[in-house]
Amino acid sequence: MLVLAGIVVLHITTIILLLVATIDNAWWVTETATTDLWGRWDLKNLAWHYSELQKYTEVQSDFLQSVQATSVLACVFTILALFVFVAQLFTLPKGQRFIFTGVLQLIACLCIMTGASIYTAQLHTADKGQYGHSYILAWISFVLTGFLTITYVVLRKRSE
Amino acid sequence: MLRVLALAAVVLLGIAPEPSQAISIYTGWERHALVGSDIRLSCSFFSWRFVSDDVSFTWIYRPDGSRETVSIAHYAGGEAYTDNKGRFKDRVEFVGNPKRRDGSILIKNLDFSDNGTFTCDAKNPPDIVGRPSSVRLLVFENLPIQAGVITGAIIGVVLGLLVLIVVIYYLMRFLVARRVFSLSVSKHGKKKKEGSQQRQLWTPPPLTCYPLP
Repeated sequence: MLVLAGIVVLHITTIILLLVATIDNAWWVTETATTDLWGRWDLKNLAWHYSELQKYTEVQSDFLQSVQATSVLACVFTILALFVFVAQLFTLPKGQRFIFTGVLQLIACLCIMTGASIYTAQLHTADKGQYGHSYILAWISFVLTGFLTITYVVLRKRSE
Repeated sequence: MLRVLALAAVVLLGIAPEPSQAISIYTGWERHALVGSDIRLSCSFFSWRFVSDDVSFTWIYRPDGSRETVSIAHYAGGEAYTDNKGRFKDRVEFVGNPKRRDGSILIKNLDFSDNGTFTCDAKNPPDIVGRPSSVRLLVFENLPIQAGVITGAIIGVVLGLLVLIVVIYYLMRFLVARRVFSLSVSKHGKKKKEGSQQRQLWTPPPLTCYPLP
């Protein structure tokens, strides 16, 4: 029972971290700008201005769009995995493993790994600045989803 | 009561607005095109009256960053007139069908200097009160991919595949279960049938009379 609660809490934490990584604007920060997958905030004369990334990274807009897609997909799959896990808790016969949940979590893990890797390799290769907390959270989510995948594949259903 | 109703009807009819005589003109909002290509700028209008013989279309061009406008195409009295002096000389052609309320023009061989705003003004006498509509032309060297097209495509394809796989999986399970069920039913039925057939095959031997020794 405790193990179950722990796994659910960990899964929800992973979902929250993934959502923050996708939504919060802090993939790449400099002293006067923060940017992420969707837009860019620039500090001009003590006021923040928002601009679309399309103009900023015209050359890399294809890669940026694929990172957008994979991080959104990672969020979707991990949320789906939570629902499927809860459903399988009630429908799975005793002694079976949570394979479907594990597969969904695995896809989420691969998606966020692909996205973060593309971001690392293709974007901001020549810019000054550093990676922000959303980027770090993306990699932490990768580790957590990987761990959850293994957990679901190994876990066996005991009687309710 | 009846008198109040009659009074109200008269008042309402009195203040009811007459059918609008304004003409509504429609063009695109923004058009993107490649250098060297042709583009068709569409213009159509809506009017409460039938298309008259004096219907007219006028296209006016204003370059980006300039306040000056210049007419480049005009259709009136059944004849189309296009630019024969300015920067669109021999490049613009009237391709609309005024009888069908279409006043589109075709601009050939676009260049970067063609960036600007094209305004279409249509008149359908006596319906002449209308607001001209403008379309902005942007000429690119290579067309940029619209924001979000790739994103949407990847997400759509992956989720679609997932739905497809789940549906196929459950369909297979359903079909296999049905086959197993029908097989077991037919097996049970066959056993019963075979038993009855055998009984029929076995006919009692014919009775023959043996003479008494």
